[in-house]
Amino acid sequence: MAMAEIFAKYNYWIYITLMMIGLYAMIAKGNLAKKIIGMSIFQTAIIVFYVSIGAKKGGATIPIIAHGHEGAEHVVRAIDYVNPLPHVLMLTAIVVGVATLGVALAIAMSIYERYGSMEEEEILERIRE
Amino acid sequence: MIWQFDFIILALALICAVASISLKDLLSAAIVFGAYSFVMCLLWTEMGAVDVAFTEAAVGAGVSTVFFLAAVLHTSRQVKPRRHGRFFYKFIGAAAALAIGGVLLAASADFPTWGDPASPASIHVSPHYIINTIPDTAVPNVVTSVLADYRGFDTMFETSVIFVAGLAVLAILGRFGRRTRDEAPAEFAAVPVAGQSPIIQAACRIMVPFMQLFALYVLAHGHHSPGGGFQGGVILAASFILIAISYDLRAMIGRLRERWNMVFASLGVMIYAGTGALCLLLGANFLDYSVLHRILPATSPIMARSHGMLAVEVGVCFTVMAVMVLIYVNIASHGKSDKGL
Repeated sequence: MAMAEIFAKYNYWIYITLMMIGLYAMIAKGNLAKKIIGMSIFQTAIIVFYVSIGAKKGGATIPIIAHGHEGAEHVVRAIDYVNPLPHVLMLTAIVVGVATLGVALAIAMSIYERYGSMEEEEILERIRE
Repeated sequence: MIWQFDFIILALALICAVASISLKDLLSAAIVFGAYSFVMCLLWTEMGAVDVAFTEAAVGAGVSTVFFLAAVLHTSRQVKPRRHGRFFYKFIGAAAALAIGGVLLAASADFPTWGDPASPASIHVSPHYIINTIPDTAVPNVVTSVLADYRGFDTMFETSVIFVAGLAVLAILGRFGRRTRDEAPAEFAAVPVAGQSPIIQAACRIMVPFMQLFALYVLAHGHHSPGGGFQGGVILAASFILIAISYDLRAMIGRLRERWNMVFASLGVMIYAGTGALCLLLGANFLDYSVLHRILPATSPIMARSHGMLAVEVGVCFTVMAVMVLIYVNIASHGKSDKGL
């Protein structure tokens, strides 16, 4: 594979690696807090994937349209602005993500209160007892 | 986009991700995870996603780290290694991650190159919004106009999800009726209750009004600059959480009673849905704000869409602020709403 081709897509490999790290933590780690961190890493990997699809190289700027006062007309070209659609979807996903993170932490805290542990293994032992 | 900068940020993100899942001390893991969020925030700024970066800076690096710290301080801080089947779980985890990662890596050959202006996502639908946002809605920030107008229905339910998540935290951790009524919330202006050092308290006391003013600016100026209801709401919530951390939880509850907080949370969703219903009543489609020019004085249908967006952003701000505060109160005090951390 040519060097230029690697450079064009290495970002996706890093997102996939982040996603793998998150998935691994969710399965292999025994601690509930670690599983939740893994879940959040998984989530950011997907968010960053979406956002990078909207990125444009070569002079495109942030998606706030330059406009003059008193109705000065500008010709707006889509190529000059990065794609705003992934931003919208992911912005709400981040805030919903923190709200669901709160729910996950609340469930983990109730489990701790009831079984006195955050470790999957000990919780399962105490459920069986 | 500057490739050296991209490379450093992506490398830092990987390092922070690995560190936060491998650290044995959960407090450190939570802090490193906050750093990871901040690195992500830099990456998004680099790619021109300023609204997303702003949200991540307020949410990921700010509020969610505080949630983690509060939860860890109420549970156990140390991670214990598994006693049985350690290699079995590691094997299963690694196998699942490698299998899915392998499939995605194979598929990545078909992805558009990073930053390609002609990628499929950027040439079909999105030019329409970029070109028409000013003629249609007079809102230069395309993210705001798509969020609150073109895709307003979607955002309404996102706001509802946040509201429901707040209710869920209250249902899981809240202790209804079991609280003793004698401990009245302390007054904020009274002699500082036991908490942090006076220096921190004085500093926070000066910062809080400016944070709240900034949050209102972010909310109101979201049409023209990065920001809007989500970011404004999170910053407002952060200002209340700051009071709760530097004084104690009761000082914050004295400022923002829990009952009022719940009213704000539901009021936000109601403002959003109510704006939509008002459009229905005036004979247009749900959330078609252009019809609001009939009841707003001296507005054209185009400016009415801009004002309609501001109305729903205010609704979003109320709900997000109240739910973030609600989650913090319940996690930090384990549902008791007493002293907190």
